[in-house]
Amino acid sequence: MRRLSFFLPSFLLLLLWQAGSVFGWWNAFLLPSPQAVGETFLTLLLNGTLFRHLQASLGRVLVGTGLAFAAGFPLGVFFGLFPRGCAPFLPILDFFRHTPPLALIPLLILWLGIGEASKIAVIILASFFPVFLNTLGGVAACDRKLIEVGRSFGLSRGAIFRTILLPSIFPHVLTGMRLALGFGFRALIGAELVAAASGLGYMIHDAEMLSRSDAVIVGILAIGILGSLLDALVLKVSSRIAPWAFQEDDVHGRP
Amino acid sequence: MDALDIRNLRKEFLFDGGRFPALKGITLSIPAGMFAVFVGKSGCGKTTLLRLVAGLEEPTEGTVGVRGGGAPLRTGIVFQEPRLFPWLTVEENIAFSYRSMGKRPTEETLSALIESLGLTAFRRAHPSRISGGMAQRASLGRTLLYDPDIILMDEPFSALDYFTRAALRDDLLHLWQERRKTVLFVTHDVDEALCLGQRIHVMDRGEVVRIFDVEDDYPRDIASMSGLKREILDAIGNGTCCGAHHAKEKAAEA
Ligand SMILES: Nc1ncnc2c1ncn2[C@@H]1O[C@H](COP(=O)(O)OP(=O)(O)O)[C@@H](O)[C@H]1O
Ligand SMILES: [Mg+2]
Repeated sequence: MRRLSFFLPSFLLLLLWQAGSVFGWWNAFLLPSPQAVGETFLTLLLNGTLFRHLQASLGRVLVGTGLAFAAGFPLGVFFGLFPRGCAPFLPILDFFRHTPPLALIPLLILWLGIGEASKIAVIILASFFPVFLNTLGGVAACDRKLIEVGRSFGLSRGAIFRTILLPSIFPHVLTGMRLALGFGFRALIGAELVAAASGLGYMIHDAEMLSRSDAVIVGILAIGILGSLLDALVLKVSSRIAPWAFQEDDVHGRP
Repeated sequence: MDALDIRNLRKEFLFDGGRFPALKGITLSIPAGMFAVFVGKSGCGKTTLLRLVAGLEEPTEGTVGVRGGGAPLRTGIVFQEPRLFPWLTVEENIAFSYRSMGKRPTEETLSALIESLGLTAFRRAHPSRISGGMAQRASLGRTLLYDPDIILMDEPFSALDYFTRAALRDDLLHLWQERRKTVLFVTHDVDEALCLGQRIHVMDRGEVVRIFDVEDDYPRDIASMSGLKREILDAIGNGTCCGAHHAKEKAAEA
């Protein structure tokens, strides 16, 4: 029962959409009815178009956020461990953090061409900072008292890093990765503006050109649902491998 | 044979540009296997003393060591808070000193220790799922399994309720009587000192001001020790407080 009520607001929203279409509250061209969207969805699904675009986009998001992680995680750890030495580099990073990845597209195309590289670069730019900043924050928030336990057992710096620091930043890094995936999906449209021939972003652009708002909505729904499913998967896997990170805070006031 | 030899140990902390002596040149030695207690008011330097012995702070002056050189001192500390690793189960926390070196204690050793700590039912629980008393037991177990020459305990039971504290005190005595490790136990509770200490060091403002050797057998009847208790309380002194924060207040008044 809990599950059902969980989806109640989503269901009501759908109902509202349906009602609006039936009673003609808006022009069907501006927002087609759920049936029209459903039919387009089925057509695109059955002729394989949707799946092809989905695959292309998913691949880009996974590669992009994967590379963002490969760069953001070690950099975040490094900046967290040596905050003073790294401080002079923060203005540069701040600059890029405030630059919309889309604004860099013209340059990316110049440098990387119009192939996959520039599309993935846009996704990396969008998803790097969540990983980097959350990792950095995790290192900064790592309980010094736990580090001290390691020291009291005579552990080397390396052992403290492996056995205390890394596990303790795990929840922060996980949050960073989830945000990164979200940012990655949101950057898709921009990334696939670049001379793409596949991808959900491309599909939406294409439908826009043809004034097919039903297909646009199918694309939007596909991105939203795919992103949500992927996030749920990440949560599921990480709660399996690190259940402690998902238990509510202890009730004993321990550090 | 002495387990610990402290000579002219001095520790100054910097604050507001000034220097505050938390320990003012302590010299003492503790025989191997002794249960030594340090008692004194908050801010008198008890924690600082233990942290210096544990090697977590560097002394400003003086030395901590074993008499006549010898192998470096292996100490294990039980902090005031359990400081368990939230990502490890109770059992993994206890075995931490092994895990961190990529080893495992034998199942027999581990189970026996967990049993003697009364944690068998909670072996696989994470720290957020156990009570404060159990967490402090696990923390003690983690240090015991590390098998240090000297066990340092910094008011380990002070955050616990009366009953848990009394129970843990008894458990600690049993464990100590089995293993006869050298223990340095810090407390601000005179009854706890009387209950546990073979030798009670009274500290005041960064110095050990009196030392009492207590011959009574365990378990002790505190009620019959009121004479000694009086003496200890007198030695502790009746100033309101001591320490840097007090010095700071004084400086502010001036
Ligand atoms: N890291 C530190 N920096 C500055 N002052 C400190 C520090 N640690 C302890 N002190 C001061 O040294 C004194 C002794 O502290 P501590 O050893 O913690 O006392 P106790 O454990 O007996 O309560 C206190 O006045 C405290 O304020
Ligand atoms: Mg203290």
